[in-house]
Amino acid sequence: MDQASVHPVAPADAATVAAVARSSGAAPAVEYESVSFTYPGAAVSALENVSLHVEQGERLGILGPNGAGKSTLLKLTLGLLPIQGGRIRVFGRTPTQARRDGLVGYLAQRNEAELRFPLSVRQVVTLGAAWRTPAIASTPRAAREAVEHSLSLVGAAPYAETPIGRLSGGQVQRVMIARALAARPRIMVLDEPTVGIDAVGQRQFAELLENVHRDTGMTIIIVSHNLRAIAAGCDRVACLARRLHSHVTPKGLTPAVLGELFSHDVEGLFGEMHVDAHAAAECQHEHDHAHPHDHGEGQARMDPNA
Amino acid sequence: MTTLQWLTDPAQRALLLPGLIAGAAIVLMCAVLSVLVVLKRLAFIGQGVSHSAFGGIGVAAIAGVATAGAGSGTAQFFIVLAFCVAAAIGMAMASERAGVEADTAIGVFLVASMALGAVLIAWRLQHRGGAGASWESILFGSIMNVTRADAVVATVVSVVVLATVAWFRRPLLFWAFDEPAAAAFGVPTARLRYLLMILLAVATVTAMKLVGVVLASALLVLPGATALRSSDRLTTVLWIACSVGLVGLIAGMVASLEANIPSGVCIVLALTVLFVGACAASSRLKRIARPPQGSPQ
Repeated sequence: MDQASVHPVAPADAATVAAVARSSGAAPAVEYESVSFTYPGAAVSALENVSLHVEQGERLGILGPNGAGKSTLLKLTLGLLPIQGGRIRVFGRTPTQARRDGLVGYLAQRNEAELRFPLSVRQVVTLGAAWRTPAIASTPRAAREAVEHSLSLVGAAPYAETPIGRLSGGQVQRVMIARALAARPRIMVLDEPTVGIDAVGQRQFAELLENVHRDTGMTIIIVSHNLRAIAAGCDRVACLARRLHSHVTPKGLTPAVLGELFSHDVEGLFGEMHVDAHAAAECQHEHDHAHPHDHGEGQARMDPNA
Repeated sequence: MTTLQWLTDPAQRALLLPGLIAGAAIVLMCAVLSVLVVLKRLAFIGQGVSHSAFGGIGVAAIAGVATAGAGSGTAQFFIVLAFCVAAAIGMAMASERAGVEADTAIGVFLVASMALGAVLIAWRLQHRGGAGASWESILFGSIMNVTRADAVVATVVSVVVLATVAWFRRPLLFWAFDEPAAAAFGVPTARLRYLLMILLAVATVTAMKLVGVVLASALLVLPGATALRSSDRLTTVLWIACSVGLVGLIAGMVASLEANIPSGVCIVLALTVLFVGACAASSRLKRIARPPQGSPQ
């Protein structure tokens, strides 16, 4: 496959991006401009010339196979990796500034918290809300209220006093989301949030995220290779395989699009990856079920004249 | 000499008092830090830092200020302290920036410092003569050798370390609980790592006065390990760790006076007995410490 022949953004999808930007009217939450990144010693770049805008209040899914650069893009967004090429702005700030200003909430791919720690659920969530509070001050009232609201929003209030080590995996994930929300970020970044979760748990997670988005209206970026997770909880999907292949609404995740994404650019790296057309259709059906009114919005966004 | 004689004889009591004050201050400081050490799995760092003190003692010997005991003499104390802090920072930098595995970095600094210390002390004895440090005292400590000045230094150091922990408690807790997430939230994790390394070095060097080089790191592990076996509430864990430290100190001192053996060994053995007891009664203690509540499930 001739790599140079792959257009970074399909023309039809560029129209979608423009429509989204116009409909929101506000400055983008996150701007990626020609972002490239290569890990030291790596022969192949992790990201090549990725340009993308994420609008305020939008739920963007970043879909791609393993090794496509999804987590790298998130780490760059969080300022955890240095920007080598291109430019990233998060609400007009550099990623490092945005992180220091507490604008970005983060849910990691794997929970690496030390769950033996003798902290209650409420104490864990309070860490997110009040770690910046000066030592001599007690936890501010606004932070305490944010903690309680976050616990209620994710359904963790009933076990707020329970030590974190006694919770199930799903409960811990809810607590971690509450911790991120309690910090009152303007954008939430979730890295493979449904890895290791069964179908029921994934559905519950999608509902939880829907509630969070409805309640806070915050911008959400979900990175996943799981079609189900992306299709059920996003307004728009960016297909990434080292390069940005296309922007589509979840309904646009057709077998043809997925086929290109999962076999095109990473062919040389991971071998041929076959996409299950049935799985794609199932995801589309699931998204229709989860967002019964999304069809009209999707059409409006797709149509620049709407 | 029995404990009762030490306590009833005013002259002996005056000799014992600085050791008791220094011991209590050191034990409380180490008990609080030990909770973080156990949870962050930093026990081996305590070993590395304490054994690095040999290098510091060697430098003090060359400088002509080495006296009996690992931390004896204010000048020697600060030389050893500076050496151990530098070693702790070196370990952190080697594992963070040079890509050396953390346990490998600690192992290298540990053996290199011990070898350097032995060479410098031997050189001092060969070329300038004079009394070398008491190796038994360096290895196992002696609470009977604690002077009033030592007690003041130990108390001041302990207060400073505990105040620093209290000042940074929120970001320190976040970092210790979930380092990757803390970094994403903007917590200055690298700076906190160095801060904790320095605090551990300071605590270890100060604890050497009481229990010696070999056993100093034990004070940074056993109280926290015992407390974490007993409760899953942070405040309770800290109280238990401090109580365990003090009980171990007193029990160890009594045993030391009665059996006329080094205090450090006795204190560590007493702490070990408490840890084993906590392990045996772990589930029972947690049930007692746990407030009544509904199941999270």
